[in-house]
Amino acid sequence: MKRSENNKRGNGGATPSSRDASGGQSLWADAWGRLKRNRLAMFCLVVVILYTAIALYGEGVYRWHQWRDITPSYHRTNLEAQYMPPSFVRSPFAVEGDGDMTYRERMQTGFRELRRHPLGTDGLGRDVLQRLVQGTRIAYMVGIVTSLIAIPIGVLLGCLAGYFGGRVDDFIVWLYSTFASIPGLLFILAIAMVVGQGLLGVYLGIGLTMWVGLCRLIRGEVIKHKEQPYVTAAYALGLGHFRIIFRHILPNVFHVVLVSFTLFFPAAVGTEVFLSFLGIGVEGEPSWGIMISNARLRLWHGVWWEMAAATAALFFIVLAFNLLGDALRDALDPRLRTGKQ
Amino acid sequence: METATAKLRNTPLLFVLIAGMGMVLGGGCAGETLHGEAHEGEMVFYGETSRIRGLDPVKAGDVASAHAIARIYEGLYEYHYLDRPYRVVPLLAEDMPEVSEDGLRYTIRIRRGLYFQDDPCFVDREGVGRELTADDFIYAIKRVADVKNASTGWWAFNDRIVGLNEFREASTADAPTDYDLDVEGLQALDPHTLQITLTRPYPQLLWILTMHYAYAVSREAVEYYGEDFVNNPVGTGPYVLKSWRRNYRIEFVRNPKWEETGRVEYYPSSGAPDDEAFGLLEDAGKPIPFVDRVIQYVVQDPSTQWLMFLRGQFESSGISRDNWDVVITEERELTEELEAMGVQLLTSPTMTIFYFGFNMEDPVVGQSDDPEIDRRNRKLRQAMAHAINTDEWIRFFNHRVTRPTGPIPEGMTGYREGEIPYPYDLGRARELMAEAGYPEGRDPETGRRLQLTLEIGSPESPDMRQQMELFADFMTRIGIVIRPSYNNWPAFLEKIARGQAQMFTLGWVADYPDAENFLQLFYGPNRSPGPNHTQYRNKEFDRLYEKVRVMQDSPERTALYQRMADIVIEDSPWIFSTTPLAYGLFHSWLENFKRHDFPYGMGKYYKIDADRRREWLREYGR
Repeated sequence: MKRSENNKRGNGGATPSSRDASGGQSLWADAWGRLKRNRLAMFCLVVVILYTAIALYGEGVYRWHQWRDITPSYHRTNLEAQYMPPSFVRSPFAVEGDGDMTYRERMQTGFRELRRHPLGTDGLGRDVLQRLVQGTRIAYMVGIVTSLIAIPIGVLLGCLAGYFGGRVDDFIVWLYSTFASIPGLLFILAIAMVVGQGLLGVYLGIGLTMWVGLCRLIRGEVIKHKEQPYVTAAYALGLGHFRIIFRHILPNVFHVVLVSFTLFFPAAVGTEVFLSFLGIGVEGEPSWGIMISNARLRLWHGVWWEMAAATAALFFIVLAFNLLGDALRDALDPRLRTGKQ
Repeated sequence: METATAKLRNTPLLFVLIAGMGMVLGGGCAGETLHGEAHEGEMVFYGETSRIRGLDPVKAGDVASAHAIARIYEGLYEYHYLDRPYRVVPLLAEDMPEVSEDGLRYTIRIRRGLYFQDDPCFVDREGVGRELTADDFIYAIKRVADVKNASTGWWAFNDRIVGLNEFREASTADAPTDYDLDVEGLQALDPHTLQITLTRPYPQLLWILTMHYAYAVSREAVEYYGEDFVNNPVGTGPYVLKSWRRNYRIEFVRNPKWEETGRVEYYPSSGAPDDEAFGLLEDAGKPIPFVDRVIQYVVQDPSTQWLMFLRGQFESSGISRDNWDVVITEERELTEELEAMGVQLLTSPTMTIFYFGFNMEDPVVGQSDDPEIDRRNRKLRQAMAHAINTDEWIRFFNHRVTRPTGPIPEGMTGYREGEIPYPYDLGRARELMAEAGYPEGRDPETGRRLQLTLEIGSPESPDMRQQMELFADFMTRIGIVIRPSYNNWPAFLEKIARGQAQMFTLGWVADYPDAENFLQLFYGPNRSPGPNHTQYRNKEFDRLYEKVRVMQDSPERTALYQRMADIVIEDSPWIFSTTPLAYGLFHSWLENFKRHDFPYGMGKYYKIDADRRREWLREYGR
């Protein structure tokens, strides 16, 4: 049983030549097949894709304004229109007709009016929906950039520690234990102090603290794989250490990275929102955290939409990523598969 | 003149609104039922406060600490509680000082029979408080001068008193500072006569003597408690510290020494014209303090503060921007609901100016030796001032502010009546931008919009952030992109002190009701790390400043003040942003409550009608 499982993995991910020879399904194709059967996971995937599209749109809007050197409308204030509720609670009849308007015209004007600010406006009369889109952009930037910082560090150090063992392992374990022992928020604060407040501080702060978990996982996996026959074989063939690590072992543990990413991403987004809420994160851009922080002052007056919109946006992205991550782990973990089928 | 800029003086908006409004001494507490602390017939004042950093009069620099210190310690003089314009009256001094002809020598007689509270620090006397003498004031001022104390109040005495700067110099040595070292300008002619000799006339000295930096401090206490002196105040004042849990609760009780030694102080028997009508003189001539105990809680969150006030747990409250709509009607009156509850409203402008400062050494916005660049940059600054939409700005603050008409706030001589100096005028602003070399707001060299960095302290406040976003949007309307840079408070002060900020936003709360206190902020030699954070320099202004600062109050001096204000307005090192209006609310059972710009120590005049409170709590306190 265990043997066949190992073969399967060896065939699936590792060497292109062996994949051709076996003619079986690759791990990834196999996992995708199983993921497809999980309706909830597919739904979450759609949600994630939707968010991604929104983030890309937001980025486009942002870039365009940057390029044209004009102030985007989500920064433009209009105190005439402050605290306008979302359109689904506004009445289309609120518009005052100028007397000789027919009922039809009034309806038309009213509904046209509803199209403005569908999610209402904030305290400075800015459109909540536009700010929400920009918040999505920021969240994605943070999720992706911090992943790009944390994952390479985690993977590299994890592989090195697991493969070489001994002194290298001791050192890396010491290193990540040290990192893990610093309370995350304090560490992020310290980094923000050094590089200055803003997105860069958030990137580095989150990125440099979150690699530890991944590093541990990878190290464990690599230690397991190190004794596998395919690794021994590669070693016997006289392949270099790094070739073995990165061409043979890494593809076999890569599903860990993928699963980690899907769990890591929402955590990073959540941390960013939290930091911005506290006022030590993003500045000058509409992050969800800033929206929540701004909105809380007026919440008890019934100005709920800004808070609700940002919180819901955060809630659904975190939920979708987490469910997707769980489903991915199930799909990629052969042991669970055998159990189920 | 100060180095470590006192927080008291540059208080971020939030603090000022919460704490500085003077309303705030206090508040309250969950009525007796919740705390069950008031004894029968006892008058307890429940208040809210910000975080109190320490109770050492020399080291404190924030509003909350200053309030607490002023309950326990006292100075030679104090502000008259009711009279306006403000005037100084003797407190521990017998009467007003005798000033020599040349204005350099102040002889102050100190009242006899005043005692420090009983405290274990009076070892020789087995803990019984001793009589107050002139040496206690000399000692206090020497402590301010001692470098090792890092006092926030050195600016008040720097280069003013003969020999004090030498004392400060000597205190920089590694050895413990020798307080027996004689300072020529501070002499006790006898135990109850203090003589202060100044290096040059300093008419503001009287105001300084009302501040906590000049409160009487007993040497025994400082030496007995050492580092722990900040937690163990020993004063002569109306209250003594009973308990203090940092960041949570502080309690003061009536100083028993007063009764023991027969000391009696009285409520003032005259006041401003309206005071009689408001019932502020009903207790005229009665002995103070009225309140037996003062209990204050640290409540940082404005919503919590507000809800506690509504439940009668605090006696008074400010109104935060976001509560405004539910508290005040469009006619600037209390809503019916609150009126029915007997809540009372108090409004008046504060002696505070918030501003956007430019770094006058910055090549883009500052002054320059090249007259052409100097002229252009000045136009840029003026254009920015014109771009602030006053209506929207004031509306953003829910009408709790006015725009200052210059560097001298209302209530001081030299205040300029009428229009604000650069009214909202986008057309004029764009014109000025073009003249400044940025047609359509674009820098012809790069074709991009002009970018300026605005340094901001207190990033954690959403109010501040929205305010800056609104300001930034005003500026984009004339084509300037403001990049906000949020700092924590110490980092912010550091940047300003080093002159590294291109633009910054800050406020100045008057230390004393004299225009000189604001005009010093533009005096060239006061440049950073002094209080002139903009590094502004103007020969004519400096010359006038040197002239007025030694002048006694006179119409001539007022005329000079106005001329100096005009110079500042023309050069625009500041964009005058706002002057907060103090809107305070208090419950019907709090009596003798009058807003004061320098409210430290005024708690002794307040009175609580405990029966009315009890009734109210039964009805509304839930």
